[in-house]
Amino acid sequence: MWISLRRLTTAAFTILVMVQAGVVAEDDVAKKSEIDFEKQIRPVLKQYCYDCHSQAGEESGLRLDHGANILKGGDRGPAVIPGKSAESPLFLSLSGQGKIPRMPHDLPPLKPAEISLIQQWIDQGGKIPDAEQTLRTTQAKSDHWAFQPIRRPEQPTVQQRAWIRNPIDTFILSRLEQNKLKPAVEADRSTLIRRLSLDLTGLTPSVEEVQQFQADTRPDAYERLVDRLLASPHYGERWGRHWLDVARYADSNGFTIDGPRSIWKYRDWVINAINENMPFDQFVKEQLAGDLLPEPTTDQLIATGFHRNTLINQEGGTNPEQFRVEAVVDRVNTTGAAFLGLTVGCAQCHKHKYDPITQRDFYQLYAIFNSTADINSEPPTLSLPTVEQKTQQAELKKEIAEFEKQRTERKKLLEPEFESWKKTLQQSLKNSEEQWTILASETAKSTNGATITVLEDQSLLVGGTIPNNDTYLVETANIPSGTTGLRLEVLTHESLPKMGPGWAGNGNFVLDEVGVEVSRQTKAGWSKFEPVSLSLATADHSQEQFPASYLVDGDLKTGWAINVKQGSMNVNRRAIIKLKAPLESPEPMKLRVTLTQTRDSKYNVGRFRLSTTTVNPSMLNLDPAIIAILKQPEEKWDAKQKTNLEQVYYQSDVQWSDLEQQLAKHKTEQTKLNKDIVTTMVMRELPKPRESFILLRGNFLAPGAPVSPGVPDVLPPMPDAVKSPTRLDFANWLTSPEQPLTARVTVNRYWQRFFGKGLVETENDFGTQGTEPTNPELLDWLAAEFMHLNWDMKQLHRLIVISAAYRQASDFDPANQEQDPRNLLLSRQNRFRMEAESIRDIFLASSGLLTRKIGGPSVYPPQPEGIYVLTQNKKAWPEETGENRYRRGMYTYFWRSSPYPMLPTFDAPNSNTTCTRRVRSNTPLQALTLANDHSLFELIQGFAVRILEEGPDYDEGRLRHAFQICLSRTPDDQELDVLTRYLAEQRAHFKKSPQAAAQVAAKKLPEKIEVVEAASWTAVARVLMNLDEFITRE
Amino acid sequence: MSFNDLLLRDQTRRHFFENCGVGAGAIGLAALMQSEKLAQAGTSALGKTHHRPKAKNVIYLFMAGGPSQLEMFDFKPKLQELEGNVIPESYVEGKQFAFLKKDAKLLGTRRKFKKQGESGAMVSDVIPHLATVVDDITILKSMKTDVFNHGPAKLFMNTGTQQFGRPSMGAWVTYGIGSESQNLPGFVVLQSGPRGPRGGTPLWGSGFLPTTYQGVPFLNGADPILNLSNPAGIDAKRQSDFINTVNQLNGRRLEKTRDPEISTRISAYEMAYRMQSSAPELMDLTGETKQTLDLYGVDPATPSFARNCLLARRLVEKGSRFVQLYHTDWDHHGNKGTDLGESLDARCLETDQACAALVKDLKQRGLLEDTLVIWGGEFGRTPQGEPRDLIGRDHHIDAFSMWVAGGGSKAGITIGETDELGYYTVEDTIHVRDFHATVLHLLGIDHNDLSYFYQGLDFRLTGVEEAHVVQKMLA
Repeated sequence: MWISLRRLTTAAFTILVMVQAGVVAEDDVAKKSEIDFEKQIRPVLKQYCYDCHSQAGEESGLRLDHGANILKGGDRGPAVIPGKSAESPLFLSLSGQGKIPRMPHDLPPLKPAEISLIQQWIDQGGKIPDAEQTLRTTQAKSDHWAFQPIRRPEQPTVQQRAWIRNPIDTFILSRLEQNKLKPAVEADRSTLIRRLSLDLTGLTPSVEEVQQFQADTRPDAYERLVDRLLASPHYGERWGRHWLDVARYADSNGFTIDGPRSIWKYRDWVINAINENMPFDQFVKEQLAGDLLPEPTTDQLIATGFHRNTLINQEGGTNPEQFRVEAVVDRVNTTGAAFLGLTVGCAQCHKHKYDPITQRDFYQLYAIFNSTADINSEPPTLSLPTVEQKTQQAELKKEIAEFEKQRTERKKLLEPEFESWKKTLQQSLKNSEEQWTILASETAKSTNGATITVLEDQSLLVGGTIPNNDTYLVETANIPSGTTGLRLEVLTHESLPKMGPGWAGNGNFVLDEVGVEVSRQTKAGWSKFEPVSLSLATADHSQEQFPASYLVDGDLKTGWAINVKQGSMNVNRRAIIKLKAPLESPEPMKLRVTLTQTRDSKYNVGRFRLSTTTVNPSMLNLDPAIIAILKQPEEKWDAKQKTNLEQVYYQSDVQWSDLEQQLAKHKTEQTKLNKDIVTTMVMRELPKPRESFILLRGNFLAPGAPVSPGVPDVLPPMPDAVKSPTRLDFANWLTSPEQPLTARVTVNRYWQRFFGKGLVETENDFGTQGTEPTNPELLDWLAAEFMHLNWDMKQLHRLIVISAAYRQASDFDPANQEQDPRNLLLSRQNRFRMEAESIRDIFLASSGLLTRKIGGPSVYPPQPEGIYVLTQNKKAWPEETGENRYRRGMYTYFWRSSPYPMLPTFDAPNSNTTCTRRVRSNTPLQALTLANDHSLFELIQGFAVRILEEGPDYDEGRLRHAFQICLSRTPDDQELDVLTRYLAEQRAHFKKSPQAAAQVAAKKLPEKIEVVEAASWTAVARVLMNLDEFITRE
Repeated sequence: MSFNDLLLRDQTRRHFFENCGVGAGAIGLAALMQSEKLAQAGTSALGKTHHRPKAKNVIYLFMAGGPSQLEMFDFKPKLQELEGNVIPESYVEGKQFAFLKKDAKLLGTRRKFKKQGESGAMVSDVIPHLATVVDDITILKSMKTDVFNHGPAKLFMNTGTQQFGRPSMGAWVTYGIGSESQNLPGFVVLQSGPRGPRGGTPLWGSGFLPTTYQGVPFLNGADPILNLSNPAGIDAKRQSDFINTVNQLNGRRLEKTRDPEISTRISAYEMAYRMQSSAPELMDLTGETKQTLDLYGVDPATPSFARNCLLARRLVEKGSRFVQLYHTDWDHHGNKGTDLGESLDARCLETDQACAALVKDLKQRGLLEDTLVIWGGEFGRTPQGEPRDLIGRDHHIDAFSMWVAGGGSKAGITIGETDELGYYTVEDTIHVRDFHATVLHLLGIDHNDLSYFYQGLDFRLTGVEEAHVVQKMLA
């Protein structure tokens, strides 16, 4: 309907055009005159379209300056469908129809006659010149520095040769000398060891380590220190944390629901890989495509968690495909920023404004990542049982199999019996209703004074003054021999509240117990009533927690009730009570039925009726659902119905139900075991790749032209042998020697960690809008060297920290400040504040409380109250009490929607997107955190105790020791003086205020430490741990 | 800039961040420098803005969940008439909904609408207090957004994009024109309702801007700001000694290293100390008259939206630039507790009086002139009802209502119109981007020129697509 309407419009439009333009109106004339592409079409396209759609522009991937390209079209697919102008986007957009905005964009439309020409040309078959039958591709070219191959630069010649320690220094010094700048002096040894320890391990050196280094007179003392730190397991933590920023690692799913997720095994993989010095190219490969490696190891699968750190939206009403697409887009963006240093993300919606990355380029990368099994979901996950768990799993599996086998055997054995049971049931089902005989009652009494009236239908109505609880005694008329069951109907009546059937305000009741006694007629008259054993009670409906089975459990505190969750409870109900054995007797028998109600609140039955039956006892108490099955002809049963029926029968077999119980128990154990097994999220490739399309304006509901996997045109191509690159091909390409970005970007990021700024300051934008490298030769030398060292990260780090450039003092030099205010040429080291997690680590290390355990599940150190006031859901935070209370900051459980507060305060990234460099702010909220946060204050108190326990026994000695622990240096006289005075003031105050002292001092003090001393030293410790120098790497 | 100038600047500057060398947008930086000078001179005038600002401060009342415009502001007799009919397909062709099916039936409102005030604005009886100030507010009936799930939509309304990592409006504003308060954060977030807003911290985050500009959430507990109180046993004198000692030693280190970052840290400790007294002062409502408390309906001891409204006024009085209030649970799909009957009544009971009181109070104190009050959620609700236990509506992005007051907005008018079902806007459509542009305009900022260079691009609150200042909104 819609299409035909559009055709109509098109036709009308054509006629209008022809009239207006004064084109010969005769149809057949128009048809005969064949349009000449070169003479009539190309000039129009050239005049209006070439600006944006030719070799020079190629907006939306569309070129209109070459025949074959016109037909093929661009990002939205073909521009011309030969013979069908009404379906050709070229014509539709020129005439202002269809989905594409009217072209030319923001300019007046073409003249109607011109549009008409295009239309006719298309309808005539859209002929293009013979010479333009093959597609013309533009190889994107760029002379931008970052895209050029890496050539290892020659080392420049320099004057001050003595300063040079390794090639890095020649590049630095050369630039300094060109600018008439002198390098700073080497930092003193205490600064050097603190700097190295913080940079390589993220922890401060111990007092002993500082002393040893200062006393080490060997010429290679520094190198030895570097090697020791590179070998420390804390190196993996420190550099792992840097990488986790890039990987946007967190312990929750993000968005508004932000549920927990399990992926810490990936975090540990990163730490281990770095500690083992895995070559960086391998590091990349395993993370991007570990699952595609031949026979991947468990570790290689865990590594693919890198790209599973994307968000999952668990909000109700979301479209999983939308968020799957978002995750893939994020993977492309992260890959771009992490390895290529390119902001490819802009090209998601449009051609990159500045860089030669087209929308097609973006979606070719997208296609590489578009075929994994996750769909806005935690699975696929990898289960990682411990050896012990594996054994348990195997045992359970074996046992379960054995029980299942036995059960099958038992079933076989019981099958004939089952068949006959089934037949009997089917037989006796017929007219089952009539098999109940309503019992007339001889007497019916209420023990507590209510009246009981017999109604016409033999039901008994309770009335009069209703007592709080009551027991009804009913003696019945004769019952037949062979009675197997008793039916109790509870019935509604208008005299009851809300129609009953009970006397409670809402018509409910709780019947706690039913008792049945029998009396036989003997020659001597009726015998004494004797109890009849009851085996089972069921009902057509029971209230939750008030099942009918409670009627016969012998417990007067449990009973049957009938309230409902939905609808009305005020309807007739019935309970069926099975006798343990049929009542057989040649003589007449009668029953006495006792109904007991003990709830003290008038929860008594209001109207009821009794019946008995002599049907096969197995028929009694059958679930209505089972009866429904039985009523159907057997050939109509489905497999499930059949199993249900079998279950009912087999349950009555003791051996079978034993086996069932064993199985259930083992399966519960199995479930529990499986739940305890750690899992981690991994990538898994679909057997058949998804089709990928250019998503117009980035909208997942607007697919355009199809794309196949590929890399950006402006970068070196994939090897010819690779036709449709997988993630693995892509990872190989990323770290191939021809591809210049990965090495440049990676060494630059390392440099940034060691100097506070990268050689390219815009570390995630090596594109044309990024900053130029401050020392391009050094950058390329490092990149070349990194590849030459086979991507050996520790070696490269060693090279950097061994350099004289790295060892410079970081003090500002006013003389150099004028010329190079931002120290881009590195005439000194830089001084910068430590990252959020490291600040916690430094507190922990100085306090002496640090737990040095590496890896494991994330932990919950104490955090201030009221954090979750601002989140949609309250998050679990089981505060640690043991050693996990003092784990390094990187192990703190990270909820994306509500991170541990000190982390964002000190600029930790939110982990929603990749972060290649942290902002370093300096705010009053940071001051409040360091000064007052109770988790840090606990460490300050611990530090005070440590000073009092290990330091000398006089103030100055202790002050020096404390200073040494925090800052790895000795205080100068003035500093000592300030601290001495402060200590004295505090001591004087706390002596006067013992109550305050008790609050300030650590809660558990070793016996020999006085509270006032502990409080005074806590005050001193607090000052030291709030110093700028304490949280700064100089 | 010479080293000494640099030192001087850093000792006096009020923006505690390292400017990372990424480059602040021109106005941002200019405004920074300007406001520093002004701060030194002790004046409270704005720094250099693009044009003369009408508004100095913003109080943004964010109604999280998506309040129903059809029950409050947008009266549709035709919708009443067609209640129970399936919505014509032409309306929903190609649309996505969170929960609704295509064949959902239209739902008329149960609320009574009446013309109010001299302006004759139509509002419903569910907000009787607001009805008394309609001549002081501007009702926007033709708002439009792009996103229909709560989290992304809130992000969109606050940051102009559904992507994470972008600065929120409050962060942009404080970045652009700074704050006038030396003792309190420039951007404060107050929260009420049964739970936090979906989306959490990114809604008031600073994105790639320095964290100085992020919203500081005030808590309802003993400490309005995290870690504001001293550890137990440390009194004010001890705290002051502590700060002095830390700064003395930091000063000593500054002499040696000459790193201006240390002087920033010294200032940060000083401001932290001032905040320790000014924030509790702010929260202490004993100075407010009974008349004022009654106007808002505030019980000073109990956290509530009303108390937050009063705190918002106190904050702008003390120079905070941007105060954002979140009140949650406006997501009225139609189950028990989320219906357009009792649940909507309850939300309005919690907020209506205080919203109106805020406008009145600001007006009588002469603060409304330069304080822009904004009321609204992340989207509106559908003309179709949802088939649930009670009456309710699904999320709707094509038309919803907001209102603003003061700060140079045009009082007493209603802008925009929707079609007869209230499904699409048909007149004066205001996209979220246009709204953002207009808010910035009132603050003296050209939205095209408040930008931050990051990852190779100039980022703006209004993004890359065109945005227009809504001229009709301007007084």
